[in-house]
Parts: sequence; structure tokens; C-alpha cells
Amino acid sequence: MEVLLQVLIGGVLLGGLYALVAFGLSLIYGVVRILNFAHGTLLAVSGVAASLAYATWQLHPVLIAMLLAPLLGAFAYGYYHLLLKPLARRNHFEGTVGTVLVTVGTLMVLSDLTAKAAGATQRNIPVRLEALEFGDIVVSTVQLLILGGIALLTLVMHLILKKTWFGRAIRAVTQDTVGAQICGVQSTRMKALTFAFGSATVAVAAVMYVLSFPVDPTMGFSLTVKAFTIIVVGGIGNLPGALLAGVFLGVAEGLTGLYWKPEWAPALSVVLMLAILVARPRVAGVK
Amino acid sequence: MMKILLPACGALSLAALLTSLPAVAKLNSCDGPIVFGTTVSETGPFSTLADRWRKMTEVFAEEINKTGGVAVKSCNKKLPIQFVIYDDQSVPATAVQLYEKMATVDKVDFFVGPDWSSIGGPVPPIADKYKIPMVMGNVATPALYDRGLKYIWGTPFPVVPNWSARYFEMIGKVSPKPQTILFITHDNPVMKGITATWSKKAEEQGLKVVGTEMFGAELKDFTALIAKVRAAKADIVYISSYDNASVPLVQQMRQLKVRAMDVHHTMLTGALQRQVGQDLEGMTGELSWYPGVKGAYSELVETVMQRSNVSMFDYIWTLGRLTSYLAMIQGIEKAGEVDREKVRAALFKATIKSPAGDVTFDERGFPDTGAFTVQMQAGKVQVVWPPEVATSKLQWPSPSWK
Repeated sequence: MEVLLQVLIGGVLLGGLYALVAFGLSLIYGVVRILNFAHGTLLAVSGVAASLAYATWQLHPVLIAMLLAPLLGAFAYGYYHLLLKPLARRNHFEGTVGTVLVTVGTLMVLSDLTAKAAGATQRNIPVRLEALEFGDIVVSTVQLLILGGIALLTLVMHLILKKTWFGRAIRAVTQDTVGAQICGVQSTRMKALTFAFGSATVAVAAVMYVLSFPVDPTMGFSLTVKAFTIIVVGGIGNLPGALLAGVFLGVAEGLTGLYWKPEWAPALSVVLMLAILVARPRVAGVK
Repeated sequence: MMKILLPACGALSLAALLTSLPAVAKLNSCDGPIVFGTTVSETGPFSTLADRWRKMTEVFAEEINKTGGVAVKSCNKKLPIQFVIYDDQSVPATAVQLYEKMATVDKVDFFVGPDWSSIGGPVPPIADKYKIPMVMGNVATPALYDRGLKYIWGTPFPVVPNWSARYFEMIGKVSPKPQTILFITHDNPVMKGITATWSKKAEEQGLKVVGTEMFGAELKDFTALIAKVRAAKADIVYISSYDNASVPLVQQMRQLKVRAMDVHHTMLTGALQRQVGQDLEGMTGELSWYPGVKGAYSELVETVMQRSNVSMFDYIWTLGRLTSYLAMIQGIEKAGEVDREKVRAALFKATIKSPAGDVTFDERGFPDTGAFTVQMQAGKVQVVWPPEVATSKLQWPSPSWK
């Protein structure tokens, strides 16, 4: 029983992190309609940068997140205008293929450049706080704080989407681009801003991730796949849904490791996504 | 001005041409240097393990030549050695081309190297084709020696059948005596081979194997695996894994307070220490050799490593590479002639001296090399077993894993 509880707690913590990675991707896909294959790589690269910043200047992780988020947002804003926006002028097929090529290419270039510059080894932010012990169950204090941070961030993002003009504009573009434009929302600008905002959330997710798990420049794609699974399960643009789906995936991976074999846990997200795409294609927007 | 420049350019060109000419070997001669041909993985995926070995090889030749070189009985004198070194880029096809070139263009006397099983597969047939003895460095897959090739030997440290021999000898003698052991294995052929060998040995030694867990290199969250490890309450947790793959495992074992008499890691390296820092404290592991452990040629090897800025903890396969040079030198000395067939015959019979002890080869050219047991103590790696060469006393049970 203790083992099961330990695994469930770990699964919830892991799932929260997955959800945070998926939030940005969900927003970007919902508004810009781009499947950004480089999304997980942005997290990996940001994680490496955060780890280096911590090791070099001993900056507080919160400060690192505050510095990285606008930097990544600005990078993503420029990237969207330079490489993705021109593809919108192409026909649907060319646009879709072009987007895949550009984002997959970005994934490869970013991974290789980071590996060249910072090395291909794994890095993290080794903050150690005394773990909490309840009998045979151990709960990492750092991970508990991260979970609190994820909950807070989810709430803040939820409020931004529901209560601010920016959030309402994002939701309007998600639902009906033409309708939103008629109501005065500049959809092109909104798309660029959403791409930047979604990418900036990755920087925050990256700092939280490297506080728990090591990152390396080449691990991004597997995180992107997990994020895809979460938005398929949780619903596009639905943050509470993404949080629940993330927790579900984290717990499912934990239980796979416990009752079957840990080496199969990373493959679970792919199996889950395929199963949903086959069983309920409409949930994923596939007709 | 042109009158000065033209002859100067001509002289420079001639000098460049002369220095770029291939080293010419002088087999069965007492005149020239003995020429060893080798490749080093200076670039490509293996370069992190070997990028300083060109310099190290050059320094090795300098140090040997300082003493006059290799004693050749038939010449009644010592002959200097010279290396022809190329970068194989960690690519097997490139390595094959380069060894062909060294055999036919550079006409080297002997081959030393290459390393890594992926390159050690396609390259050795070249040695047989040209009948050039080849002592490979870190080619540890036994099957590669089973192809009936007549001109190859290898000096990987350690080989799987001897990997943890000294560790199991040690835990048979410690007090309090461990009763149970749990194996955590990185899903990789070499590591699975180590677990298969040593879990059997553990049972033979009276240890109860209370669990065997496997993980893939992609796994980052080890909560489920560690929960099972904690529940098993094993006295020894034996991690059979490459260093990088086990980084999150070691970190999460600390975070989730795994307790044991000892946590053992088959690849306790500087790279792992840099990534997990203090979490490595108290762990035991294997290392082929470490400066400070006295043995044959240990002073030479220490000097070479120091001069070429190679740390054994960071470049853990260094001894395998240097022993391939030492083996070839000793093979020539035992043959008493710079003659490929005589050196070949000598190597099959020879007991090769190395800083880590004597090395002999079986009929396939496969060695019997082992490793020392080390423990991380106060952030430094210390040899703790066998006691006669230990640089520090074993801390048992490991205080930091209590």
C-alpha cells in the first residue's frame, strides 16, 4: 500500500509538470493552429540555460524563470514572424507541410547548437530540501513546492484567459478567427502574441522541470509527444483539462513502472494518444 | 624581394612535403623507428571519451623514446617508436579506410587501437588481410574475438566476466556481512551482461537477490522503481548502468531516501560526479586503475596522463588504450625482433605487465583484465579494494546511505 501511495504521489507531481509543458502547446495550437514540434526542445534548451545560470551565478530559480520567460517569449515572437507567418500565405497543404518542416528543423538545430555550446550531458538545478517522511512514504519537499507552483500558475493562466482582454481575445480567435476580427481583434498580431506567450510559459515549466529531473538537449521531442497526448486527452485550450490529463498521464506512467516495467513507461503516452485517436478521433479534431 | 621570397617559399614547401610524407616502417631492420599505426576518436560521439588521446599518444612516444625506446634483442639496442595517428571520427567506415591507408600507404609496422566495439567489428579483418598484429584498446565485446582472426588482441579494462570480481571479493569479507542484493540494470547489452554474470555470482556467494529492475535510457522519473527498491530493503543496491543514463536514478534515490549498506555503480565516473555532485558520496564502483596505485609502468602512465592532462576519472577507458601500447611494446621486446610473425607468436604466449596487474590473452586474443573497487569519499575517488593497493580504507556500511 505504501508503495502504491508513493507511486501515486510521484505520478501527480510528474503529471503536473507534464501539464505545464502542455499548456503552452495547447494555447499555440488552439490559436495559431500550428503543431510546434520544437515545443519540448524549447523546454530542454531553456532547462539547460536555467541550469547553467544556476551553476554560474547561483541565481534563485524563481529569478531565472522571470528572466528566461520574456527572453523566450521575445525569441518566439521573432521566430513566428520570420519563419511561420510567411507560411500562412501558402495553400493549406503547403502551409501544413512547411510548418512541420520548419518546426522539426528548429528542433534539430536547437538541440545540436545547445549540445555543441553546453555539452550533451544531462543538467539540472540541484536544490535539496529535507524530504517529508510519513512512515514509509517519502515526499520530496522540492517537488511539493513545484506542485504548488504549478497549481498557482494554472490558476493565474486560467484567470488571464477568462478575465483579461488578452485572454478573451485568445479565446475569441480560437473559436472563430473571422468573428474575432469583426469584433476588433487583430488576429495576426494575436497569433504572434499567443505564440510568444505559449513559448514563455515553457521557460517557467523548464525551471520547474530541472528542479526535479535532469534535462539534456536531445530530450525535447519525447516531451512534445507527451504534451500532444495531454492536449488530445484534456482538450485544446482547456487548461484545467490539460492539468487533469497531465496528472492522469503521470500516474499512468508510475503505475506502468510499478505493475509492469519501468522501461515501458515513456512509451505509454504514444500508446495512449494512438488509442484516443483511433477510439475518439473527434476529441482530437480528426474527422 | 622576389629573389628572397621564392627560395624561401620553395624551402618551406619542401619542408612541408617532407614532414607530410608517410612514416616509413623498417621491418626486420635495426635502423629506423618502429612505427605504430592508430586511430583516435577525436571527433564524433565517442570524442567525449577520447578527445585528448592524440596528445596522450604523442607524449607516450616521447616518454618511451626518452629511455631510448623499445629494447630489440636482435639489434642489440633500443629502437625509438613513432606513431601515425588519424581521427576515425567515431565512424566505423572511416576507421576501416584509415587502417587500410596505414597498411598500404603509411606502411606501419604494427597497429594499436582502435577502440569501441562498433569500430572493433569492421577494422580487425584488415589486420588479418595484411598480417599486421593489432592490439585493440577498448573493444570489450567477446563475440568480436570469436571470428577466427589471427592477428588481433584487445586490452579493454575491465572485461564483463571480471567486472565486479574484486567488489564481490570485498563484500565477502566485510562486516557486517550483507545478506541481500538488488540489481538495477540499464537496458543495454553490456549492462545486461554484467547483471547476468554478477547476479549469478551473488547467489553463489550466498547473497539473496531480492529484486532485479530494468530501465531505459529515456526514463527520467524513477519513483516507481525506487518505491520497489525501498520496499525490498536490500543491503546492497547494485546499479549496472552507463554513467549518463543513471543520473536521474542516483539523484532520485537520494531525494527519496533509499537506504542500504552500499550502493554500487558499475561506471562511477567523473562525468557522473559532475552531474550529481554530492549525491555520489559513499557509493562504490569500478575503476580500471587510478594514479597512486603502484604497478608495472605506473609511473610512466602517471607521467603521460599528467603531461597530456588526462584524468582517469574523466577518461575512464584510458588504461585500456595505454595498455594496448604497452602490450605491443612488450610483444616486440619478447619477440626480440621487429618481425610481425614473431611478435604475433610472442603476444599469444606473453604475460603483459600493466599498472593494474598482469594481463594474459586467451587463444582468441581476449584478455583477462579486471578493475579495482573504488568508493567516493569526501568528494574524491579512492581505491578501497584490494587492500594491498588501497588509497583509502573502505567505509562500511556506507555512512551516507544509512
